[in-house]
Amino acid sequence: MTTSSPEPLLALSGVNTFYGQAQVHFDLSISVGRGHIVCLLGGNASGKSTTMKIILGLVKPRSGDVSFDGASLLGLTTPQVVRRGIASVPEARRLFADMSVRENILMGAFVRNDRDAVAQDLDRMLTLFPRLGQRLSQRAGSLSGGEQQMVAMARALMSRPRMIVMDEPTMGLSPLYVDRVLELIRTINQDGVSVFMVEQNASLALEIAHEAYVLQTGRIVLSGPARALKDDPRVRDAYLGGSEAA
Amino acid sequence: MSSWLDYTINGLIVGNVYALVAVGLALIFGVSRLINFAQGSIYLVGAYIGWVAVVQLHTPLPLTILVVAVAAALVGLIIERFGLRPLQNSVRIAPLLATIGISFVLDQLVMLTFSPNPRALPSQLPDVRFQVGNGTIGPLDLLIAGVGITSALLLFVFLRYSKLGWAVRATAQDRDAAMQMGVDVNRVNQAVFGIAAALGGVSGMLVGMYYNQIDTAMSLQATLKGVVAEVVGGAGNVPGAVIGSLLLGLVESYGVAVFGTSYRNLFAFLLLVVVLVLRPNGLFASARQAPPEPLTGTFIAPSRPVRIPRWALLVAAGGFAILPLFPVSFYVLQTLINAWLLGMLALSLTLVAGTIGQVSLGHAALLAIGAYTSALLSLTLSVPVGLAIIGGGLMSAALGTLLISPSFRLRGHYVSIATLAIGEIVSLVILNWESVTRGPIGISGIPPLSLFGYDLISPTSIYWFSLAVMVVLALLQARLLGSHLGRSFRAIRDDDIAARAYGLSLNRYKSLAFIFGGFAAGVSGGIAAHLYSYINHETFNTQQSILALTVVILGGLGNVVGAIVGSVALVGLPEVFRLAAEYRILIYGIVLLLLVRFRPQGLLGTI
Repeated sequence: MTTSSPEPLLALSGVNTFYGQAQVHFDLSISVGRGHIVCLLGGNASGKSTTMKIILGLVKPRSGDVSFDGASLLGLTTPQVVRRGIASVPEARRLFADMSVRENILMGAFVRNDRDAVAQDLDRMLTLFPRLGQRLSQRAGSLSGGEQQMVAMARALMSRPRMIVMDEPTMGLSPLYVDRVLELIRTINQDGVSVFMVEQNASLALEIAHEAYVLQTGRIVLSGPARALKDDPRVRDAYLGGSEAA
Repeated sequence: MSSWLDYTINGLIVGNVYALVAVGLALIFGVSRLINFAQGSIYLVGAYIGWVAVVQLHTPLPLTILVVAVAAALVGLIIERFGLRPLQNSVRIAPLLATIGISFVLDQLVMLTFSPNPRALPSQLPDVRFQVGNGTIGPLDLLIAGVGITSALLLFVFLRYSKLGWAVRATAQDRDAAMQMGVDVNRVNQAVFGIAAALGGVSGMLVGMYYNQIDTAMSLQATLKGVVAEVVGGAGNVPGAVIGSLLLGLVESYGVAVFGTSYRNLFAFLLLVVVLVLRPNGLFASARQAPPEPLTGTFIAPSRPVRIPRWALLVAAGGFAILPLFPVSFYVLQTLINAWLLGMLALSLTLVAGTIGQVSLGHAALLAIGAYTSALLSLTLSVPVGLAIIGGGLMSAALGTLLISPSFRLRGHYVSIATLAIGEIVSLVILNWESVTRGPIGISGIPPLSLFGYDLISPTSIYWFSLAVMVVLALLQARLLGSHLGRSFRAIRDDDIAARAYGLSLNRYKSLAFIFGGFAAGVSGGIAAHLYSYINHETFNTQQSILALTVVILGGLGNVVGAIVGSVALVGLPEVFRLAAEYRILIYGIVLLLLVRFRPQGLLGTI
């Protein structure tokens, strides 16, 4: 088990989740250190996306605790969780398709009331994601998948979060955009935002992550520094497709 | 003789009024994917609050509008908070049914408070007409247009520039994503219900002034018109709702100009059916967009049905069969006859709504078709009554299935809207097709029930006859449900895409269900016609359709025994408590609300 820093920013401890009769998580414990990128790897139906929903308060665990910066998140509604400083880049982006790109990005600042600083942050996003500058008044639904991912990341950053949770940020993107997205995640992290990401593409995720967990049918089967996991034969066999990847 | 310009002006003004209702419906649908059937009741409440303000408090016009808007908004907030928010995590049909229940309760409360008699609602505006081209326009027309345009502008500014407005739009597009941006969707719901109710209330008041008359029948009409306009414009599409409303107003006005006043509503509902069939997402939706409905069976509350042993059913049936041999009053038999007739309708609806998942809100139309066919066959062609009733059943099965078939491609809420419209169309055709149906006069002197030449006139014989018919229909239906066909029906209800992937033809199975259900309902209507000896186009109305739906939900959707138990309970209980007729509908509404909240699977569970 990793103990990255004395007090992690986000900690799931002993979480058990159920959908009706079916148990999704078995005694799940994950921690995200301050300033770290942590990724959760796992195949289909391993419980990855549910982990995201637990953090965001969209699904309630039956037992266990989720704490952020020392305070429990259980019992909070999703908007309350967001106000604590967690932003999300949901699976498949989930942009507001009929709103403009500008409106989408500004929706990310919904919890903020400092208009001037929000306007400055919007400018900052346009330097971070220069492509979006020409797209500001376009319908978000009309953008390409990669551009939509940029909007989703900009939108998440607009709340000035302490942590961003990302659900499969590279899914369905062209190889060019995959590299770009990974690079951006690193940039965001270097600005002091912790990142918790769920990924199916292990080799990519392990390249940028500090620590990683491997989830299999609801249980953590492996965890440790990303570097170590990358060379772990078990990860290589299960997720990196044996010798052809890495 | 009015000019075309007059009809155009009238159409646009009426369209403006519809728009105030439809925009609220669109906002609510956008945010919570719910068709708010209580919108017309808020409109009604608005009209009566306007009446109290104008006639009793003598408020000046601007203050009247303000009072109505605020009071109606409060009603909307109460509905949202106590009627709908507790249902947030229940099955998708629950909120829809709850709004139907709420509308029953509100309408009845207004009726009990103000009596059903129409009242005059003066507009306080000078009665002058200005000449415009070859038409005329009055101050009230201008007021309505002004309120409409002002509301549209305010709404535009709200949605485009306010934070809450952004939240409303974001929630409408992706509720989960909006929550992840920190949007409190409960507040958004509150906001749209408040706005929708304020607009709806003001609309009701304006219509009252326009016709200088208000009565409690306004409610359902307003809901229907608002829903038509909203669906024509594309459910959830706010600008679309405005354009749909103006279009509806114009179509109606020109229809009246050409064919006469009694055709007004016929055009409205035909427009709806045409749009639903050709462009189910509305005139302005992009063609590729998937319908905003779930694809799988989250529409019906799943549950384990209560098993009733066969002997218990036999004992119950036997008990009811020998009941007339005991000294029971006329009144009890009469009540149970009504229950058996309703039971047949409920059997039909529970098959269509419960087993195959097409929640029909126009089922009374099947009664009407059966009743008219049977009455006319026996009256004009002297067909023996027994055969005429069977003829009514067959006609209901054939015509009902044919009429409903355009809605086979629709899902969920849209089926309910389409069936509601088709029900209204049947009633309006009966009203207007005078050469066959005798129009508004109705059919009188229908021969009494008879079988093989023997008249069934005594309550006992009518009781046995209707009980026997219902039991036979119930046995047939139970048999059907246990067969391969029944399983196919349920498969279509639970996941029509998967059912199609397994090679089930949706049209064929839905047709079979409606043919069987149509027959049962038609027979019920036929018996009723001979029992009442007089029927007209309002004998079988929407209220009856909703009553049947309440029965079916009370018993448990798809549950054959449940349909009968529900009928006995809903017909019997008000009698047991000797409630006056006007309280009955109120009770039905409350029963529906409580069921949806606390036992959506009904007494005996869904099958």
